[in-house]
Parts: sequence; C-alpha cells; structure tokens
Amino acid sequence: MSILRLSHVEIRVPDLELATAYYTEVVGMYETAREPDRVFLKCWDEHQHHSLILTFAPTYGLNHMGWKVEHSSDLDDYAERLEAAGVAVTRYADGQGGPGHGESIRFSLPSGHVMELVHGMEQVGNLLPNTNPPPRPMGLVGFAPPRIDHIFLTCEDVGLNTRFLVDVLGFHLTEQIVGEDGFQVATWLEVSHASHDIALVTGQDRGLHHFAWWVDDWNAIRDTADTLAYHGVRIETNPTRHGATRGHCLYFFDPAGNRNEVFTGGYVVDPDEPAVTWTESEMGRAIFYYDGVVNQRFLTVHS
Amino acid sequence: MGILRLGHVDVTVTDLDLATAYYTEVIGLLETERDEDSVYLKCWDEPNHHSLRLTYGPRVGFDQMSFRVEHESDLDVFENRVQKWGYPVRRVSKGEAVGQGESIRFETPSGQQMELVHDMEMVGRATAPINPAPFVEGLKGIAPPRLDHLLVTAEEVGDSAKFYMDVFGFRLTEQLLDGAGHQSAVWMETSHSPHDLAIVTGKNGGLHHFAWWLDDWDHVRRSADILAYNGIQIDVGPTRHGITRGNTIYFFDPLGTRNEVFTGGYRPDPDFPTITWTEDSIGRAVFYYEGELNQRFMSVHT
Repeated sequence: MSILRLSHVEIRVPDLELATAYYTEVVGMYETAREPDRVFLKCWDEHQHHSLILTFAPTYGLNHMGWKVEHSSDLDDYAERLEAAGVAVTRYADGQGGPGHGESIRFSLPSGHVMELVHGMEQVGNLLPNTNPPPRPMGLVGFAPPRIDHIFLTCEDVGLNTRFLVDVLGFHLTEQIVGEDGFQVATWLEVSHASHDIALVTGQDRGLHHFAWWVDDWNAIRDTADTLAYHGVRIETNPTRHGATRGHCLYFFDPAGNRNEVFTGGYVVDPDEPAVTWTESEMGRAIFYYDGVVNQRFLTVHS
Repeated sequence: MGILRLGHVDVTVTDLDLATAYYTEVIGLLETERDEDSVYLKCWDEPNHHSLRLTYGPRVGFDQMSFRVEHESDLDVFENRVQKWGYPVRRVSKGEAVGQGESIRFETPSGQQMELVHDMEMVGRATAPINPAPFVEGLKGIAPPRLDHLLVTAEEVGDSAKFYMDVFGFRLTEQLLDGAGHQSAVWMETSHSPHDLAIVTGKNGGLHHFAWWLDDWDHVRRSADILAYNGIQIDVGPTRHGITRGNTIYFFDPLGTRNEVFTGGYRPDPDFPTITWTEDSIGRAVFYYEGELNQRFMSVHT
C-alpha cells in the first residue's frame, strides 16, 4: 500500500478562458474535459485523464491537490489511519470528483490544505500509440512538459505538517532548512524515489507557493524561457539551480497569479536515506544556488 | 515491501588492475574497498558501499546481479517464493560478503545468479550531508551519478519474464514480439523507470550489458568524447532507443564486458499499459535513428 505520486492539482482562476488559453497554448497541455466552471487538462506524456483542473472562482489559489494510490484498498487503509489520527475523511464515489476522476478520499492537512487520495482515474493514454511508438509526438504546442512533477505549499508550522506527512501518510523527508532556533523553515519530502514530490515552506496556511512540471533537461528549461518570453509571460526567476534537490528550475506566473515552475535534475533516493540539512545561514544557496540569495518576492508571494 | 532497484553488478575480469584503471579513470567510479582478488566501486552519487564488484578470474564473466529490497523481512518472503518456484535459495550471513549484511542468493530460470539484499553499508554520497553543493568538483572520466539497469540473455524470454514478474513483482513496460507472437525481449521495472531489468533472447546465464544513468543528452556527448579520447571501443551510439526512449552509447570495457550510459525515458505508474514492438520494427525499437541492428550488438555478450 502506498501513495505513488502527485496526481493532479486543482487551482482557482478568475478568468477560465484566459487561463485555459495559457495552459493549452503556452504550457501546451491538452484539454480532456470541460464543464461550465471547470476545465480538465493533462500533459502529453501522461496516461491519466487530468493532472490540472482549472476552476472558475473570484480569486486565485489552490482548491485541492490529488495523489495517486496504487490499489483501491489503499483508500480504506489511509482513511482508517487518518481517522485514527483524528482527521475527518470524506469519501467520493467513482466519478463524483469530475469526469474520469475515479474514487477518492479527501481530508485536510493541519495547515488546512485539502488533500485527496485517488484511485482509478480514467486512463486516456499518452499521445503515442502502444505499438511501435516514436519517442515523442510531433507538433507539440508551447513548451509541452511531459508530466506534472511536484507541489510546494506554504504553512505556518512546517514541522507539524512535515510530521503529519511522514507519520500518517508515509512520506520520506529528503531535505530540510533548519532555522537557528532549531525549527524547520522548509522541508522536501518524497514518495516516488525522487528528490521531492511535495515541499513545505513557512508562510500562510492553505497557501500555494507553486506547482511544477518535469522537463527533460537544462536545454528544455532554456526552451521554456524562450517560449514564456515570446508570449509575454512574467518570468520570476531566470533559469537557475536549487541547492536543495539540486534541480534546475525556472519560475513564472500564470495569468491569474498562480506560480508555476519547470524542473529537471535532482537525484534518486531509497526510502531509508537520511535527510540533507541546510542551515539558515545557507538558505540563499539552498533555494537558488547560483544567486546565493532569495528574492523577497519569492519568499512572500503565493496564491 | 518489494525490490527497490538494482543494487550492484558483480563481474569477473581477467586483469584486475586494468579493469580497475578503466572503471576508475575512464568511467570515474570511486574505489571503496579492495581485498585479495576483488575491487569494490561506487558512483559518486550513490550512498551505498558499492554498485560494481570486479573479481579476478581466468575468464571474463557475469557473477551475479544484486537487487536492493525495501525491508529486511522481504528476504523471508522472497526466499519462500523462489523456493516455491522450485529453485534452491542460499542465505548469506552478515560478514560473509563485503559492504553488506544478510542476503539471499539463487539461480534464476535463465541461469543468472541473483541476489537480494536490504542491508547495504552506507558510506554516503560524495556530496556533504549539510549544505551540500549540487555537484562534486574534480571527478574523473564520465562520472555517472549512479548505476541504472542491466540486460541479461535467456533462451526462453517469456518463461524468464514470468519468473521475475510473478515472484518479485517486476512490471512489464515494453516487449518485443517475434513473428509468432512470442516475446523475444522484455523490459521490466520496479522503480517507476522504463526498465531496471531487461531480458533478450540469447544464451542462458549471459550478461548483455549493464548501464549507468547520466543527467542528459549533453552528458551523453561528453561521455562519447571521453571514451574516444581514451581509445575505448564504442559499440553503438550516441543514439536513441525506440524502446524506453532513452538516449544511449554502448561500449566495451577493456576485457570485453559491454557497458552502456543511458538517460531519458519516462516515468511509468504500476498500471502503465505495456508497449509492444513488432518484429518488423525491431530496428527502430532498438536503435531509433539507425533503424537497424548491427550483428555485434545481437550476438556479443559475456
């Protein structure tokens, strides 16, 4: 029984048409379903029905994040574990969460973020045939990341929420920034042998700092920057490198103000490897290794 | 519960000093231990004691492949399952093998020696545990961050694949079918990668190659430069696989064992639908740019 990976993110956008145009034309995701107030999107190499849901709302931010579990019975096991820890769990039947969505349970982290565990989302296939496929499709639009990668949340008590993810949900801590007072300022955790599937940084509860797509390599990060600049998208941080996770990255904002990232690199970990620790004095390099300092906007702006 | 990844590959070499020089200077592995007839090596970004063991012997060969399991108790479960399949299992106790604790060893239906181990000595990555730089200065050679996968040969690929899937839970990501619809090669994973273990039709007990992971295509080019500079025989590449979509170079160590550097691919979930390649597309399946196989690639193994 296990959580496999980040499955999808549902974000609020005040202009559904504008957001859809951005996520399909600039990012290059594919629309798989549409309702009056919601649009469902996936990346080209994803097999599942959606990895991003845009929901019309007067403001921006995160409605919920979904995580894929391996077996249907995992939902019962996690529900039991969560309820034993005093967490209220709501169950959703197959399809109740939207077209192609599968069955799920929902609950809140101590920080108030709504988390969903989902199984049985419809498999719509990637853009390649299952027999003799070429290594990539031709004619992709935008920077066309192959898949969603991770999510980064803000919360008031990073330590408390990290313990919740580790103790109740079985996440593995890979890196942490520890303040001079001994408290965790930021943490990175994984369930899929990656450097991180989720990260938490000190800030407002329920906040979304960003969600990220995977891209192939450093060259793809440059291509993404070209695409973003061409379309007039606001780039927040130029192509650079993280100390924590070692990944290469680029940050930018969708038209509603939700922060996006493209990410590549990092490392592979076994579940029992001890966490890497960053001290507060090296926080600049932990976040942006080349610059060595974190800009104020990166620390304060979230959705 | 289950197999996490390929832990180490053990090969026999006829010249231990020459092989060690190649694997440390050209590949850029780090020597972690040496005894009378064996050298233990790891990649710079691997935390465990070794991922390659070279042992002196009169003939080049493949000693065993060792996979790491998640929990110590997994050894009991797998011991039981392998025995039920009809293969004897040997327990290797802590202290018997260098750099690792208790393990189980057995022969697979296709004649390879396989080991499962949980407790590998942690020697740490070459980066620091506190405020680490994202890379290491002064590495030699290609310096791949880690071991990635291996490809073995088997007379009956289908039976062999069934053993790995039923006993250990390997998942079939891709398969190459012959004209009669039988599997002539299979790719299987346990770690959300396109393959941790692959099997191709050939002699039982054989090793076709083992591969290291590289960061990206740029690192593949740099590897080709380093191999050519050092006079290493390149078998194929740099090129791309249709199967796994990876970018690759194949080459031989000075004693004849085939090596590969690999990057790319995709990230399958356990319910990933298996990709099938048909015999008429075998060229593109294996080498996507060339569209055809060379005879050496098909016939040479150790």
